Amino acid sequence: MGIATAIWEKWIEFKYEWKKITAAALVSPVLYMIALGWGLGSMTRVTDRPYIDFLVPGLIAMCTMNNSFSAVATALNVQRIFEHSFEQIIISPTSLPQYVLGQAIGGALRGMYSGLLVLLISLPFGIGIRVTPAFFLVMFLNGVAFGALGVLAAILANTHADVGRFSTFVITPMTFLCNTLFPLNRIPGAIQLAIRFLPLTHASSQLRGISYGEPVSLLSLGVLAAYAALFVGLSIFFVNKRKNL
Amino acid sequence: MIEIKNITKKYPGQKIPALSGVNLKIESGEFFGLLGPNGAGKTTMIKLLATLLIPNEGEITVDGERLARSNSNIKRKLSMVTQEYSLRGNMTPEQIMELHGRLYQIPKNVIRERSAELLDFCSLGEHRTKICRQLSGGMKRKLMLSRGLLTAPEILILDEPTVGLDPFARRQMWDLLKQLNDKGMTILLTTHYIDEAQYLCRRIALIDKGKTDRVASPRKLIDDLGATAVDEFDGSHTKSSFFAAREEALHFAGELDNEFVIRSTTLEDVFVTLIGRKLEGK
Repeated sequence: MGIATAIWEKWIEFKYEWKKITAAALVSPVLYMIALGWGLGSMTRVTDRPYIDFLVPGLIAMCTMNNSFSAVATALNVQRIFEHSFEQIIISPTSLPQYVLGQAIGGALRGMYSGLLVLLISLPFGIGIRVTPAFFLVMFLNGVAFGALGVLAAILANTHADVGRFSTFVITPMTFLCNTLFPLNRIPGAIQLAIRFLPLTHASSQLRGISYGEPVSLLSLGVLAAYAALFVGLSIFFVNKRKNL
Repeated sequence: MIEIKNITKKYPGQKIPALSGVNLKIESGEFFGLLGPNGAGKTTMIKLLATLLIPNEGEITVDGERLARSNSNIKRKLSMVTQEYSLRGNMTPEQIMELHGRLYQIPKNVIRERSAELLDFCSLGEHRTKICRQLSGGMKRKLMLSRGLLTAPEILILDEPTVGLDPFARRQMWDLLKQLNDKGMTILLTTHYIDEAQYLCRRIALIDKGKTDRVASPRKLIDDLGATAVDEFDGSHTKSSFFAAREEALHFAGELDNEFVIRSTTLEDVFVTLIGRKLEGK
């Protein structure tokens, strides 16, 4: 019940602002595609393929992450600190673990929506990528992980600015480093090893692998599922235990 | 029954606790008021009851069960109208009611029926599809009360519920709260309007600097101070004196050189006198 309620709440948010959400979700991928895909990308190839084929799955992973995170972190933080409407969630008998999971799933769906938009706008760029059900599964797991991280950020933040800072220190570095815009093997060894542990690295490499027609890595799916479970678990822990919500 | 047992709440980074060793018992069906100056700890107490805050010491029980964020059984009995407009700005009153009903697992047809009744009762029927942000402050207050009543709670917690309401709407709300209490609903009210507390509450706890000062009926609090007041204006200040009997007050007033007024003591006199004494360090 709590899961359905949280998803319904995210749907109402989306219904009210879908035009703005759609426009905002399009801006950065379009710019990346023009600047990196058409511009710089026309001068380079990655693993014998046009750079744009490399770029688009990375952008989809990146947009799924960004939008899942911000759809939850920003909205929930505003509800908690500015609108105070989160108080009614805490007071209610709704199961908080279910509500947290519902928020993460709602965030994942918003992330998937922006990922699909990237796929759509990439069509005029003439890319050749393959999309299978596993492609959507990776997007979903990636979205749940970062949606849940959004809950965690919203619950731990003491001010609105804290959510922005969390994004600056956690989300932005992943945006650029996690096998999204360039191959991971260009990064020096120790840093590369650290980046291999991050969830977005697995999401972008899997989306790219699937789009190239390669088999799905169960290890990467497991890593993404583990991150999703970890962030959902931490969010539930802090929603239940934080002394001052 | 709500039992608040030895509650202490300290906010991070603050030396003095917001509440310190507070004990209160609120009987089922009671209309109970929490009165105190700004910063006394009233809202902290309400937030503890809402489980938004977790106490550093002590516990709260409802009908013998310990109140906790994870205790859905107790939370189902509670409903709260907060001091701030705790509404989703981009939802309509209808959607806000639906969200609340869903959170309490109320069947959809019941949500629809009760929402329509409550919104009409609070004169919000024609605004039910407006975005909340477009509603006036008074409308938002009424919507919050409607939402609080949607779940037909056993215990209603009201934190300054009439702030921002015009006098007519305020009286309307008083009547509604009286009716609900007459039907057996336990109501816990915090307010800055002392006339409101005097009119509505059967018992009042005076709370100051995180501690309960006294707990009694408004009548008892007034009688303890003195049922008759003499206000004497000395040209720059009004000084009030209180007497148990009217004859004593008349005798005292007869000896005054300044202008004076004899009147019945109010709960506001109790509040001002007790809190004032503390401020003066008496």
